[in-house]
Amino acid sequence: MIANAKNSDDVPAIKVQHLTVSYGPVPALLDVSVEIPQGKLVGIIGPNGSGKSTLMKSMLGFIKPDVGTVDIFGTDVSQVKGRVAYVPQRGSVDWDFPITVREVAAMGRYSYRRWWQDLKKEDFRLADEALEKVRMSDFKDRQIGQLSGGQQQRVFMARALAQDADILLLDEPFAGVDAATERAILDVLQETKEAGKTVVVVHHDLGTAAEYFNLIILLKQRLFGFGTPRQVLNQKLLSDVYEGNLKVFAELARHPSDEVDGG
Amino acid sequence: MADSMAEFFTELQLNYGYLIRPLIVGTLVSIVCSVVGCFIVLRRMAFLADAIAHSMLAGVIGGYLLMKVFYQQDSNLTAMLIGAILAGILTVAMVGFVTKFSRVKQDTAIGIMYTGIFAFSAFFISLGSVSKYIQIDIYHFIIGDIMAVDNSELWLLAIVASIVLPVVILFYRPLQLTTFDPIMAAAIGVPVMAVEYLLTACTSLVVVSGVQIAGVILVVALIITPAATAYLLTDRLDRMIITSAIVGVLCFWLGFVVAVFLGTEPGATIVVMMTGVFLGGLVFAPKYGLLADWIRKSNTVPQEMMEDVLGCVLRAKGKSVPVTEVLKHIKKPAPRVRKSITMLERQGLLDVDNDKVLLTDDGRFQAKKLVRAHRLWETYLDRTGALPKEKIHDTAHLLEHISDEKTVEYLDDKLGHPVTDPHGSIIPNDSELVVGKDLLLSVLRDGNRATVVKTNGVAASSDLKVGEQITMGPRTDGGQIWVVVTSAGEKLSLTHDEVDAVVVRLLEDT
Repeated sequence: MIANAKNSDDVPAIKVQHLTVSYGPVPALLDVSVEIPQGKLVGIIGPNGSGKSTLMKSMLGFIKPDVGTVDIFGTDVSQVKGRVAYVPQRGSVDWDFPITVREVAAMGRYSYRRWWQDLKKEDFRLADEALEKVRMSDFKDRQIGQLSGGQQQRVFMARALAQDADILLLDEPFAGVDAATERAILDVLQETKEAGKTVVVVHHDLGTAAEYFNLIILLKQRLFGFGTPRQVLNQKLLSDVYEGNLKVFAELARHPSDEVDGG
Repeated sequence: MADSMAEFFTELQLNYGYLIRPLIVGTLVSIVCSVVGCFIVLRRMAFLADAIAHSMLAGVIGGYLLMKVFYQQDSNLTAMLIGAILAGILTVAMVGFVTKFSRVKQDTAIGIMYTGIFAFSAFFISLGSVSKYIQIDIYHFIIGDIMAVDNSELWLLAIVASIVLPVVILFYRPLQLTTFDPIMAAAIGVPVMAVEYLLTACTSLVVVSGVQIAGVILVVALIITPAATAYLLTDRLDRMIITSAIVGVLCFWLGFVVAVFLGTEPGATIVVMMTGVFLGGLVFAPKYGLLADWIRKSNTVPQEMMEDVLGCVLRAKGKSVPVTEVLKHIKKPAPRVRKSITMLERQGLLDVDNDKVLLTDDGRFQAKKLVRAHRLWETYLDRTGALPKEKIHDTAHLLEHISDEKTVEYLDDKLGHPVTDPHGSIIPNDSELVVGKDLLLSVLRDGNRATVVKTNGVAASSDLKVGEQITMGPRTDGGQIWVVVTSAGEKLSLTHDEVDAVVVRLLEDT
């Protein structure tokens, strides 16, 4: 594994302590504590409605917890601005919004300018570079609804890249994209990780989780497991979380191909 | 010349001078409403704006009565304005309260609250004891009386415009970002709730000052309709805002002039004008209009038709087919079939030469995949017995277009990888047999040779060693049993489950 100057700093990238969030009488998250070290590719997995997105939104400071704290590099998330970039779930975006591909990518630069300031040429250059990286340059002036699912996902990847944040959070980036796009997104995530950044991905597919991530957070309202795929993807934990649907996982637990982990 | 010019203007001033103030005020109202309206439309808050406009009647009455009863002042504008703003905020708060603390959803809460508050106001002022003090004309509240504006209202509007427009310009990016992606906004430190309150405050300000002058209907229409029209015409928020303002002002002027000449109610005339312009946009907008949509649709050829053409050419077994023959087989309008042929040629699936078509290698591959899907569907329909025999072919013909890899794979596996369909025709599986790729043993057909890559520990297949070369023999037992010939010449009879447990790599020339 590539040693990175940034990684020598051992403040955790994200530190969640005793996080409880509720929307009604039933908590969406209950007493979740987890420390995500820097420079790792981390998957958040769990069944539908297990609080994966809620955990992510808390890490972004969008949801105020009932109890608990989220620290980003040792600072409370509400005080942190722009160090976390976010790629939304495709279903939660208004694709009819009057905005072009380039404008979305340029949003990544908003955190670098005061709210009343206009974006500078430099910002658009960086946005264009980010679009180039995800091979979306040819679609710059398209309205975002006029793209295929995979292309839409890549536009938001470009936005995150343009933001050049230390932490990248992605909500179900692989849902509904073709295999080629999945590969392309994964490559960008790997590169981002190798550049010393921390990448956290809400992920649905248990089958690919072991292959994709260094660390896995297994969630179902409570934290059921956190560690390397080998540690987490065992029959016992999975059966606790996914009661009943075990046929698939028996196969999975047999050969998790996680890489040897340094951290 | 100059004289007559001056004369003309004097005349104009004498005859139409009373129109100048309403025109200026109307222009201001139109600009402010249609600019703020863009954000309201994009945030799906249109109904809330409507509610604020209606329920402010309560505040107007409250302010009026307060000044009248305690200070003996008639129609104190400031008090009525403050009352109206308070009523607006109260409405928003009550809607928020009901939405948050009950299972009633927001649109329902809005509907209940604003009709309730509005009706209560109307009920209240029609009480005998109250109507002594107050003369508020509900009709004018609704429909407005733009001709009767006075200077104080002009000033009020000028102030509102000079607050709201700079706010929109200064806060353009926070407004855009919180509307489009509030989560990212929060992540980069934009105070999402504060921005929302700011927008609600601006909306209340615009609505309250506007309703005094133009009436509920005109203000609500000015907020929603130009913005919605601009939404159909543009792809960028900045352009949408400018377009919306232009549409709003133009409609106002046009409606105003028409109203003056026809002697109709100006407010109503302007709203009719705006609605007409919106409907025009709905039909004729260059990109998102119904007409553009229709033209686009009629220019594209459905995937199914292209697939039908491929299937038709495949049946010629490698010979080229005259286009006229294709047209005869596919019972669809000839120009569209011709268009699908052109599209297929462009995609490199067909060669067209002298009005004859020939499948390319790619085309044959695709066509075989289709035939595979068709025959698997036929087999499926036949086995499930869900359909009468004579309907199977036609239904399979419709279903074959559902030919994504996963569906076809599922069918194939479920049916036990059949070799022939119910009519005895071979189900092609060339698309599956990729040389050098890891495959399940079950997809191999008679004569295929392969190396064993992995055996997943199913009992009978333990006779197969990894690295061993095998040849597939013909299926027996009605296709239920796979016969595998090992390198030593031994014949193994394997069941579906057993062959599914073995991964092989296909060898060339098989």
